[in-house]
Amino acid sequence: MNSLWFVYMGFAAVLLFVGIYCLLTMKNLIKLFIGVEIVSKAVSLVLAATGFARQNILVAQALVVTYIVIEVSLVATALAIIINIYRHTNSLDVRKIAKLKG
Amino acid sequence: MILQIALLAGLVLFSAAAVLFKDLIRSAVCLAVASLLLGIIFFRMGAPYAGAFEISVVAGLITVLFILTIALTRVGGDVKESKISSLAFPLFFVIFLAIDFFVMKSIVTKISSLPGTPETGSFGEVLWNRRTLDLVGQIAIIFAGVFSVLALFRKREHK
Amino acid sequence: MIFLFIALPLVVAGILPLVGKISRKVLPDVFANGVLLFLLVNAAVAGRKLIAGGPIVQQLIWMGEPVNIKVALDGFSLFMLFAVSLVGLCASLFSIDYMKHYGAKANYYALFLIMIAGMNGLVLVTDLFDIYLFLEVAAIASYALVAYGLEHDELEASFKYLMLSVIASSFVLVGIAVLFGMTGSLSFEGVARGLQAVDGKAVVGLCSALFIMGFGLKAALVPFHAWLPDAHPSAPAPISAMLSGLLIKVSGIYALTRIFFHVFGLTPALSGVLMWLAAVSIVAAAFLALGQNDMKRMLAYSSISQVGYIVLGIGLGTPLGIAGGLFHLFGHAAAKGLLFLNSGSVQLATGTRKLDEMGGLAKRMPWTAATNLVGSLSIAGVPPFVGFWSKLIIIMALVQAKQWTLAAIAVLASVLTLWYYLLIQRKAFFGKLNEKWDAVKEAPFWMTVSTVILALVCVAAGLFFSWMISSWIQPATDALASGVQSVLGSLGL
Repeated sequence: MNSLWFVYMGFAAVLLFVGIYCLLTMKNLIKLFIGVEIVSKAVSLVLAATGFARQNILVAQALVVTYIVIEVSLVATALAIIINIYRHTNSLDVRKIAKLKG
Repeated sequence: MILQIALLAGLVLFSAAAVLFKDLIRSAVCLAVASLLLGIIFFRMGAPYAGAFEISVVAGLITVLFILTIALTRVGGDVKESKISSLAFPLFFVIFLAIDFFVMKSIVTKISSLPGTPETGSFGEVLWNRRTLDLVGQIAIIFAGVFSVLALFRKREHK
Repeated sequence: MIFLFIALPLVVAGILPLVGKISRKVLPDVFANGVLLFLLVNAAVAGRKLIAGGPIVQQLIWMGEPVNIKVALDGFSLFMLFAVSLVGLCASLFSIDYMKHYGAKANYYALFLIMIAGMNGLVLVTDLFDIYLFLEVAAIASYALVAYGLEHDELEASFKYLMLSVIASSFVLVGIAVLFGMTGSLSFEGVARGLQAVDGKAVVGLCSALFIMGFGLKAALVPFHAWLPDAHPSAPAPISAMLSGLLIKVSGIYALTRIFFHVFGLTPALSGVLMWLAAVSIVAAAFLALGQNDMKRMLAYSSISQVGYIVLGIGLGTPLGIAGGLFHLFGHAAAKGLLFLNSGSVQLATGTRKLDEMGGLAKRMPWTAATNLVGSLSIAGVPPFVGFWSKLIIIMALVQAKQWTLAAIAVLASVLTLWYYLLIQRKAFFGKLNEKWDAVKEAPFWMTVSTVILALVCVAAGLFFSWMISSWIQPATDALASGVQSVLGSLGL
């Protein structure tokens, strides 16, 4: 087990923190999604680093590639929803679109 | 190793910049640079295919999608973010950084693990022969994404 | 051929746009429903024969050469496949009439089939990463399906659902990566074997926490339920039925159960955490359901509450508890699917979902009212419907395990459940006919047919509960109760 694993995991945790901070405090829909993208980067870093630490980098690469394909589909769908929300309310403010309650 | 840590630090800093910038285009560009750095990190880890995918798809395609969306949603005016969250960020960041590496070093080095078997074959062989079901899944994901976008942008007869 | 469960919906989904261009009116419906009918028959008949001797693993042979795609079928997977096909077929039949005014039906059916393929894939794979992969397939399809109507509420609900769901999936993947780091393998067998060899109680605890947070959000366990009361009501009615009836169970409960029973092994601590989370879900959601005026929102909170029952039974870990939990899963899938489909009929006829605007609809929509009564009584746990037996078994299991508080909570919440369901029935269907609804007609043919089928299932599963248990639930319980042993022994990949 490579002893550098903790370095990569440490940085991935910081990236996770940055991403989740963005999700908690930002109000712009697109900014919120940038937060999700940062969390995705953190997760792909964790996958690759784990594979690297185990000298199993080929399997980890396959996982990262598949994960990136998932991410692309997700981004396409989410941005389509965001554009549709903009068409309805002419604003990207998450506070303005929050009507459902209870 | 030093270069790797510098790249990782750059990755974190550019991601933080993407969060803090008010202008959306600058945020998207910072995100693209962060992806680029992540791609180089992958390459130096011995994962060239992951690095290539990361740079071409995430730093390329996803950034283009973001810029497209930002352009399409520009006219409505900017969204006011709270200033406090941007100012408080460095404080929380430094606190987290301090706790994080301390905790990680103590936890992660204690994780016991099975010794690994040496890897055989090439990347292509691993992806196509050993993880073949992933490819079926990838096809399904691409279908899902394509049909989702088609459904969400379809022509609406009523208004 | 087990792989057909994944491949057939995908292939048909792929060709549906072409079919849609040829004939907009009939062919897409025929194709989609045909696929689901085929899957149902396959699961009910061929599947039972296949696993008669125990869990099997099939390797795909493509054009004479073995391809490294292995799918595994055991009692639990077959049970889930059966439930998915049954409720899926009924929701799809319902969509024939309901989705007429949404437009682009071929596209809708394609997304629907992709969601079915994703759920089927989830229950058939033997690899942790593939569970995540098919989880995302079904999830992405569901984001688009929730937002399908492209109105403000639906888009907002879909966005919120998307954000929370992606974070949950990320937690799951981090947990999977840590397990990979510890054991060097991603298959159930490899990880289970690895965990036995390595001493990593704390790390397994961390991964369990990550999985409970991630899959718990997918299953809408309190406190991870915030997305459900917005997403399920806003979606089109057949999609609400699919989400509440199937997706939260397959991507949440099935995945959690499979990993906790077959890879980790159910420890008393884990069992305790699951049961108490479930108990909080049952009570909190039941109270929240009482205050709702929107029919579908009340049903959505009820889903959260009933999922609590399922997790309570399964979390108990004893064979009786697992059997009760699984039976409740099936009964709730059928009944909640039925109720959401009915809410769609009501919404189509009256244009509203608000309970105090309705009244006396039974006079104009007798079939809908009758099937709604069957579904409500089934979930509330009234004999002879299926819900009564499943709740009884869960409570019996709790009493047997001397968990008196939890048994009391289960019984009391049952009373609450009955109350708010009778509220719906009274406010919407019985009582004086509101003059506004003088002109409404019964729901169109296919919508009525699908709800009648599900109502008959609720009745039949209740009347023939011993047959249901011995032929469907028992193999599933056996597969789960043997715990980690089953992966290490017979699946032998």
